[in-house]
Amino acid sequence: MDSEILVNILWLAFASAALSLLIVFLKKNEKIKYLQSAVDTLQKTLEEMDEQAKLIVRTDIALNKTQEELDKKLTGLYALQRLSRAISTTLEEKHIFRKIEISHLEDLGFEKCCAFLWNTDANEFISYLHIGYMEEETEYIKADLAEKRGFYLDIIDREKTISSISLQKEMGRLEMSKVFRANSFVISPIMPKEGDKGFIFFGAGADMPLTEGDEEFIILLANQVSQALDNARLFEHTWMAQQSLERKVEERTQELSLALEEVRSISKRKTDFISAVSHELRTPLTSIKGYAAILIEEKLGALPPAVKERLEKINRHSDELVRMVNDLLDISRIEAGKTAMKLVPQDIREMTASVADLINIQCKNKEVELITEIPESLPQVMADRSQIERVFINLLGNAVKFTPQQGRITIRASQEQGRVKIDISDSGIGMPPEALERIFEEFYRVDNKINQHVKGTGLGLPLVKHIIEAHQGRIWVTSIQGKGSTFSFTLPSIN
Amino acid sequence: MSIKAGLGISTDKDSIKAVKEAVLQAKQNLGDNVPPNVAIVFSSMEFAHLTMVKTISSMLGPIDVLGCSTAAVICNAGIFRHAIGIMLLSITSDTYYATGNITDIKYKTAMKAGEEFGEKLLAGFKSARRDLGIVFSDGMIDKNSNLIYGIQERLGSSFPLVGALAMDNLRYSKTFVYYNQTVESDAACGLIMGGNVNFGLGIKHGWKPLGKPRFITRASGNIAYEIDDIPAATVYEDYLDCNLKELRLELRRIGTFYPIGIYLPGEEEYLLRNITDIGEDGSLILQGNIPENSQIRLMIGTKETCFTAAEQAVNEAKSDLTANSAFFPKINFALVFDSISRYMLLGRDAEKELDAVKKAVGPGVPVIGLYTYGEQGPLKSIDYHGKVYLHNQTISVLLVGE
Repeated sequence: MDSEILVNILWLAFASAALSLLIVFLKKNEKIKYLQSAVDTLQKTLEEMDEQAKLIVRTDIALNKTQEELDKKLTGLYALQRLSRAISTTLEEKHIFRKIEISHLEDLGFEKCCAFLWNTDANEFISYLHIGYMEEETEYIKADLAEKRGFYLDIIDREKTISSISLQKEMGRLEMSKVFRANSFVISPIMPKEGDKGFIFFGAGADMPLTEGDEEFIILLANQVSQALDNARLFEHTWMAQQSLERKVEERTQELSLALEEVRSISKRKTDFISAVSHELRTPLTSIKGYAAILIEEKLGALPPAVKERLEKINRHSDELVRMVNDLLDISRIEAGKTAMKLVPQDIREMTASVADLINIQCKNKEVELITEIPESLPQVMADRSQIERVFINLLGNAVKFTPQQGRITIRASQEQGRVKIDISDSGIGMPPEALERIFEEFYRVDNKINQHVKGTGLGLPLVKHIIEAHQGRIWVTSIQGKGSTFSFTLPSIN
Repeated sequence: MSIKAGLGISTDKDSIKAVKEAVLQAKQNLGDNVPPNVAIVFSSMEFAHLTMVKTISSMLGPIDVLGCSTAAVICNAGIFRHAIGIMLLSITSDTYYATGNITDIKYKTAMKAGEEFGEKLLAGFKSARRDLGIVFSDGMIDKNSNLIYGIQERLGSSFPLVGALAMDNLRYSKTFVYYNQTVESDAACGLIMGGNVNFGLGIKHGWKPLGKPRFITRASGNIAYEIDDIPAATVYEDYLDCNLKELRLELRRIGTFYPIGIYLPGEEEYLLRNITDIGEDGSLILQGNIPENSQIRLMIGTKETCFTAAEQAVNEAKSDLTANSAFFPKINFALVFDSISRYMLLGRDAEKELDAVKKAVGPGVPVIGLYTYGEQGPLKSIDYHGKVYLHNQTISVLLVGE
């Protein structure tokens, strides 16, 4: 009985243990299922994330490409701007191409560059630039240019840019790639308005995918180079013209200097001659005058009236001759610089007053009115008194001579820019315009009725001119025929 | 005072004139009475490189010249694509240094050449404690990782080393390494320093993982054959929705912008590998080694993450420099190795990175640097014990202070 109970108890325990195990197993199984499902979800999430990662990478690579392209464009534009500035300020043809440097090329996305201009005289392409090429590679290109000059000249003639994009394989793209050693390339014509034309080549290796934007950049650059060439040539032309002009001016100046020297030499010879002749004349004149005086004074016996009259004429003419000789001597002395002007401060008012005293008698005799209008505030002048008095006497004497009765002579003085200007005007017969130019020439006399009757040497005004100029002054005349003349001269004033 | 520096830069087109201008500037900035011992030279491709190093030697006498060609020189004044940059270092006697070089790397194999290079550097250094190494190597060497492994065999795997892979003008054809009066391709040169030298190093890229994690299921050296048991290139075909031919055409862009990131436990950032080629069998040829069974992700970079990484790199270098001294030391100069991938990604904004570096180091500190095809630098987490790896897409900043 006990054993039966024990068996039952054991069975019961076994059954409950089995039940517990079953419950645990069921629970574990549930957890495993849950975990499996969690792992599956995680795996799925991971796969989804991986798919998202792929999307991110694809988007990122596209973005990077766009960014690169944008960066390239910006860098290219910046390089183009720098290059344009450098080129446009260059005024020497050869230097324009030298401004293109490897860093510009790289910023524009290229590795190689060369430029050639067609020289019509030499009948060949001349190299102006090569970057990224060895010497022998440049020679190879030159040889190809010589061989296929028609093709390259056509690019220039048609003003057309070609590139590895626009040029088809059969049109020689591969061949050009071989010649210029570049897979991607742009050739753009350089078309200045004047002078040699040509083209510029930009190339890069296989890594550089050329875009139409790159082509545009090169066209812009080629235009810039063309414009710079025009500027440089214009500048050179202008510069050459200026040089030639300067040379001509120099030549003419030299010729004029020689001519002036010649004139001076002739003038000096003339002055020396006049001086010598005058001296030589004065000695016999003095004798003639002396003997005439002895005879007139009847120291050698009484003379018949007719003889005396003739002798007086000899004496008078001799006096005129002496005056003339003296004037000539004065002129030649002043010209030769032998007569030093004793420049001291002088009062024009006082000087004119004393000269007017002398001339007043002639005026009264001829019933001519003499007026002086000289302001009190007039500054003093630097002058040699005796010489300037000669000037006044000469000019006033002429005025009296050519002014008819009831006429008027006016002496005016004014101040202007460190000088004093004196005008002597008359209401005389005046002069014709052509006489104005020659009036100060030696021995020139205006052809008019008065001069035909009144004697004169033609040396008065030249002497006056020499005296004024020796004072660093200026003399000139204005005149209206039939109305009168005005002689004006200036003298340096004391400030 | 351990190392003083003077910077000179010239953009003159004439090689001799450019060198003269840069050297005179550098001498003037270093100080008239401070004799230079080492010249670090970076130059763009178009200069006459041999004339350049010979002119430097003739102007400065028997000093150690180290450097390499690049696509653009970085300095305080900006980023110059056509320039020669020279930094003259005056290393006082309490700081030890030795220089060396190795040529014919391909013939010797990168690993062996690395070992020989390490030995040469050590021979010059004798028994003094070595603290820092700077290496410039040809950017066209296939297995550059092996060159580092070779160097590490001799100098120790945790020895802090920074390096740059020389560049050409993005033609991927030939690069130059300068050592004293020689100019070589297929070569490397370097400098190790010890004694009183205080420096800080920061290296970051800023590329972020994208998509689901995958595993390299078959690889050897720098070739990844299979990812998740399918040809490695298929992953890229799938992501970019293109076939193998199209992929090849866009390889430079894809390989640079979307490199493979190797997950390194404990490291803040993934170790990046640029794709340099695609095999006929759909394998990916990478710039550095990739171990089998590595967990990898496809990586993506943006301008913003790039700038942040540059700031992080220079700040990390500053913290590193501070950690070694009781007070914040004066920075004597900064050396920047910047991946060309970053330049391509940043485009016209590239100078912003330089601005971040200049802002962090402060005014008056000479900064010189170059763009590279790859950078070498240590991983910092404890797991890697400062072991040096080849990196891609990084900006590495070395600050040397008082």
